[in-house]
Amino acid sequence: MTLDGLQLAVLTSRMEQVVRAMANTLARTARSGVINTARDFSCCVLTGDAQLVATAESLPVHVMRGPDIMAGYTARTHPDLRRGDAYLHNSPYHGNSHAADHCILVPVVDPDGTHRFTVLVKAHQADCGNATPTTYSTSAADVYEEGALIFPAVRVQRDFTDVDDVIRMCRMRIRVPDQWWGDYLAMVGAARIGEREVEKLAADVGWDALEQYAGEWFDFSEQRVAEAIGELPAGRVTLGGAHDPFPGVPGGVPVSVTVDVDPVGGRVTVDLRDNPDCQPCGLNLTESTSASSALVGVFNSLPASVPANAGSLRRVEVLLRENCVVGIPRHPASCSVATTNVADRVTNLVQRAIAELGPGVGMAEAGLVQPPAWAVISGTDPRTGVPFVNQILFPGVTGGPGTPWTDGWLTFGHAGNAGMMLRDSVEIDEIHHPILVTQQRILPDTEGAGEFRGAPGALVEYGPTTAPLTLSYGSDGAVHPARGAGGGTAGVPARQRLRRIDGALVDLPASGLVQLLPGETVLSESCGGGGYGAPHRRDPATVAHDVAEGWVTPGRAREVYAVAVVAGRVDEEETGRLREAETSRLHDDVQRGER
Amino acid sequence: MAPHRYTVATDMGGTFTDLVLEDRTTDRVHIVKSPTVIDDPIRGILDAVDLAAAGIGVSRRELLAGTGTFVHGTTRALNAILTGTTARTAFLTTRGHPDVLLFREGGRVDPFDFTRRYPDPLVPRALTWEVAERVGADGAVVTQLDEAALVTQLGEIVAAGGEAIAVCLLWSIANPVHELRIGELIEQHAPGIPYTLSHRLNPIVREYRRACSTVLDASLKPLMTEYLDAMTRRLTAEGLAGRLLIVTSGGGVMDSAAVAAAPVHVIGSGPAMAPIAGRDVVDRTTGHQTVLVADTGGTSYDVGVVRDGDVSSTREAWLGAPLLSHMTGLPAIDIKSVGAGGGSIAAVGAGGLLTVGPRSAGARPGPVCYGQGGTEPTVTDAAVVLGYLDPQYFLGGRVALDVEAAERAIEQQVAAPLGFTTLQAAAAIMQLATEHMVRAIEDTTVAQGIDPADAVLVAGGGAGGFNATDIASRLRCSAAVIPDTGSVLSAAGAAISDLSSDFAASCPASTRDFDFARVGAVTDGLVERAQRFVASTGVATELVDVRLFADARYPHQVWEVEVPLPTLRIASPTDVGALADAFHKMHEKLFAISDPGSDVEVVGWRVRASCRTRTTPLGQVESGPARARTHRTRRVYFAGHGLVDAAVRSHDDIAPGEVVEGPAIVETPVTVVVVDPDAAATRASTGALVLRRNGADR
Repeated sequence: MTLDGLQLAVLTSRMEQVVRAMANTLARTARSGVINTARDFSCCVLTGDAQLVATAESLPVHVMRGPDIMAGYTARTHPDLRRGDAYLHNSPYHGNSHAADHCILVPVVDPDGTHRFTVLVKAHQADCGNATPTTYSTSAADVYEEGALIFPAVRVQRDFTDVDDVIRMCRMRIRVPDQWWGDYLAMVGAARIGEREVEKLAADVGWDALEQYAGEWFDFSEQRVAEAIGELPAGRVTLGGAHDPFPGVPGGVPVSVTVDVDPVGGRVTVDLRDNPDCQPCGLNLTESTSASSALVGVFNSLPASVPANAGSLRRVEVLLRENCVVGIPRHPASCSVATTNVADRVTNLVQRAIAELGPGVGMAEAGLVQPPAWAVISGTDPRTGVPFVNQILFPGVTGGPGTPWTDGWLTFGHAGNAGMMLRDSVEIDEIHHPILVTQQRILPDTEGAGEFRGAPGALVEYGPTTAPLTLSYGSDGAVHPARGAGGGTAGVPARQRLRRIDGALVDLPASGLVQLLPGETVLSESCGGGGYGAPHRRDPATVAHDVAEGWVTPGRAREVYAVAVVAGRVDEEETGRLREAETSRLHDDVQRGER
Repeated sequence: MAPHRYTVATDMGGTFTDLVLEDRTTDRVHIVKSPTVIDDPIRGILDAVDLAAAGIGVSRRELLAGTGTFVHGTTRALNAILTGTTARTAFLTTRGHPDVLLFREGGRVDPFDFTRRYPDPLVPRALTWEVAERVGADGAVVTQLDEAALVTQLGEIVAAGGEAIAVCLLWSIANPVHELRIGELIEQHAPGIPYTLSHRLNPIVREYRRACSTVLDASLKPLMTEYLDAMTRRLTAEGLAGRLLIVTSGGGVMDSAAVAAAPVHVIGSGPAMAPIAGRDVVDRTTGHQTVLVADTGGTSYDVGVVRDGDVSSTREAWLGAPLLSHMTGLPAIDIKSVGAGGGSIAAVGAGGLLTVGPRSAGARPGPVCYGQGGTEPTVTDAAVVLGYLDPQYFLGGRVALDVEAAERAIEQQVAAPLGFTTLQAAAAIMQLATEHMVRAIEDTTVAQGIDPADAVLVAGGGAGGFNATDIASRLRCSAAVIPDTGSVLSAAGAAISDLSSDFAASCPASTRDFDFARVGAVTDGLVERAQRFVASTGVATELVDVRLFADARYPHQVWEVEVPLPTLRIASPTDVGALADAFHKMHEKLFAISDPGSDVEVVGWRVRASCRTRTTPLGQVESGPARARTHRTRRVYFAGHGLVDAAVRSHDDIAPGEVVEGPAIVETPVTVVVVDPDAAATRASTGALVLRRNGADR
């Protein structure tokens, strides 16, 4: 018997609701700002055989691939798993994204003892026991230097009770242990809510029906993705790019992707195998983020109505090899920064490669991260004498890519979280930390130009009030900017500087630990996002609005967008002349290209 | 005519203006629904007054002259914001922070959907001025205000045609000296331009939220002053001698003059009142103190919650879709709205999946059965096909419904693609709509840690009675209650609401080392302001409630929880203990966990004064014109039962306490209530219908 269009819709809604209940619970109960303010977490439900069913509003790079590997690994490692168990898992070598993302997996077991589903909660921790006070250790030569506590599917509850040995280990090694403990309680609470909700659902419809639903939902999703791929232009594109030079990788990290779109067969293949081996730094991707970052690039190019789950992923294959910087890392390679920097390069290249296949598909590149505006800051608060460590997340990290439909989303952040995270309030950050934020503003003329432009870069300046402040960051995009697509231009690169007490500005390295003294500030300039489509096709009235609002100067409007803006209005005649000249120039270029 | 014979409450929506008229001498209530007049909303209100007056056989002037309290809920302010017709407003911000309104607090929905554009800031950057000044988190002045530069900037604002000025500086809540000085300078150098200072309007931490409320308030001042003046003038000219009160987003009412001074408080005027009405009816009907109040409209399903007798409020009220629009920055009754209503369109999408909503046929063209040009089947069409609605008795017989057209649309667009019969398809549409509604309620209950099994559901709105039993049983609620004012729930709430006002201040404190003198000075000031407000209402002392609340959290937590305190002053270590205790309990209640060993930090203080405007409950709704009272049945389709003969009863014919066994349909002039085959309805002494699934006996 197959489910009808009503049953499929109802059960899908109810399964999504399970995940929403988990996410809601975690957001409301977590202690650290990175979870409860920034919402740097994800929740999902998987089948007993470790296939991804539902993810709700999770961060794409967290969930598309990885939870499945982790759930499978947990079940294999613990053949005696049973109801009441919970597992702490953050191993980058067994399916997790990076060590700072702690996951709680709870098996959902029916009354006969059959493992039917797994619920998973993943959340970025404020600290994970690294050697230095940061959750993104860019320069660590390997996992030993990185120093994170690694938990490869470690049982942390049996019979709904904590395995206290593990808790005590964490409390001895993780900075601000009460903050971690609060977050741990919230994560387990959210996973238990998910377990309870799946059990309720099974009580209403039956365990077998629920399993049958999952199978049919996968088939439905596979059919939907095949249809959507059928609408894409056919072709095979190889694009190369690179992450900027960082400590341990003085030449940067070259990244190459080959995207093969087969609309007739309804398949997309992304090949990441032609890339360097693992590098002696924290930039290596994990199996989870290598695959997920490529998948994000593909799904960014498909209609939003295509469900992302194990069924639709049958039609999108990502080819990885072992011991590769964008592949499957080999222990003890460090993957401390696996969710952001190089991962964003992969996503960007994939979505830009799809844009190369034809008009109206794919996307430009998003701005790169993580500049000092997103630093992990630490020190001792002179107001209380208490040490602190936390990632601050100012909204002045922008970088949304131009798309075939819209301008770049301003507070996009980076490709892996797609603007989903929330940003800190200046006042809240100034209460919680001894810092003063001097300015935070968008930077004119930094957007990648296009028919749909990228989001501009932004400037954030801050420093300590009365005691030294340590910041740790790793900012890509100063050398290799976010590229445009379909004739759009690149965004302006990132840079970071230090303003000394005497006012002098000094360039800061792309990555590292920096100590600021009272009176000093850091100036963090984030990347602009790439533009999509030719700038001279942008609606002139929209260009005039950008000028009026100070996003673009009149000079750039004229030179790049071929729009004359006079006293806030479009000079139609002059714009017509400018655009005609631009069109014939492009035409000449094409002619020359053909000869 | 006795001057206090009547209470009138109106709720002006986009399509209809609802009116509740209560005759205090007979305790009878009359309900009116009249079209809203968009170009002249006050005329729309007077039209509704005329209808009500005709219903009780008096003239407009007689009715108004006899009205002691005239309560008005209006979407006027919200509409002006959404249509961009508020005043041209200048935004003054601390130097270095021009993009507070642009950056918002981040966030986005649907990660793979790139068709939605980033929202424009509430004030364009071109009308934003950076003021040279800075105050620190501790209230110390970091940079002195540059007054000469400010005066130049005020000149620029006037030259740019500024019609209102909003001032929101960083940390003005810790030290308002710069905002106050700017206020003085505005009065000198830009006289006559209305302005709002953030620390006065809404002294909360978080600059984006405070700035939003400040900007919205300033931008509404010219418009709302004019609207309320005109309304007062016209109602007075038509004979109103009583008090004109306006419904606030916080679920209370304010004198219209107070609203003109701070119009931001009426942005959520309207739907805020449904939970107030729901709480009152349930309290008197089943006695439950936890109530899920749902209002089914044409395009949306609005959900509010009453928890332990208190209506839930939120600090995150959005002007539009959450995360895709802007916040109002002020606490408001927590109403979650999803795109599911009588007009929600059903379709079969790619891959054969049924969808219902969020697209809606709205008021125009409306459902297919209305015969106004609608071609896509809706939830209301499904209700007609299933036999819920009598095509000859819709809106009391004022509109005839086209059953065949509804059947055709469902047959072709839903049944055929799904391989269902037309009746199965109609039932499927209803079931999926139910699912969406359940999901909207569960989002709210989960977020607040409420177990729906402890609650009853109030189903309001014209289409609320179609699936009330189903929704209640999916949620495991013990019962569904349909108030006799269910079709005009917000207006009914407005009629019984309190005069209320909030007074807030930011003053950090910790239970570890409590600064009695500093906090005492702040809270005493708030209480004094609250008592001045109470005196201004003229309400008798025994009807007044003044309470102190703390916005508190555990160390490291970023979000605060509002905790009511047993005293108006924290005077002793015992009081501090009581504060900590109240916080731990509230945290446990909301989040199912607490950390009693931990210190508690307080970020802000709030005093709320509520003055009851009445001591008696709202009376019962006067019967409409009686229909033929013969026993009737109708063929109605229920999933799992097929077509069955359902008894059709008129609401007025059911005696208090009488049990109507399903399958049955209970009709009122404006709505129907469906009693499923395995359920029963009881008419309570309050006039409400109580629906219970058989076997659910609580």
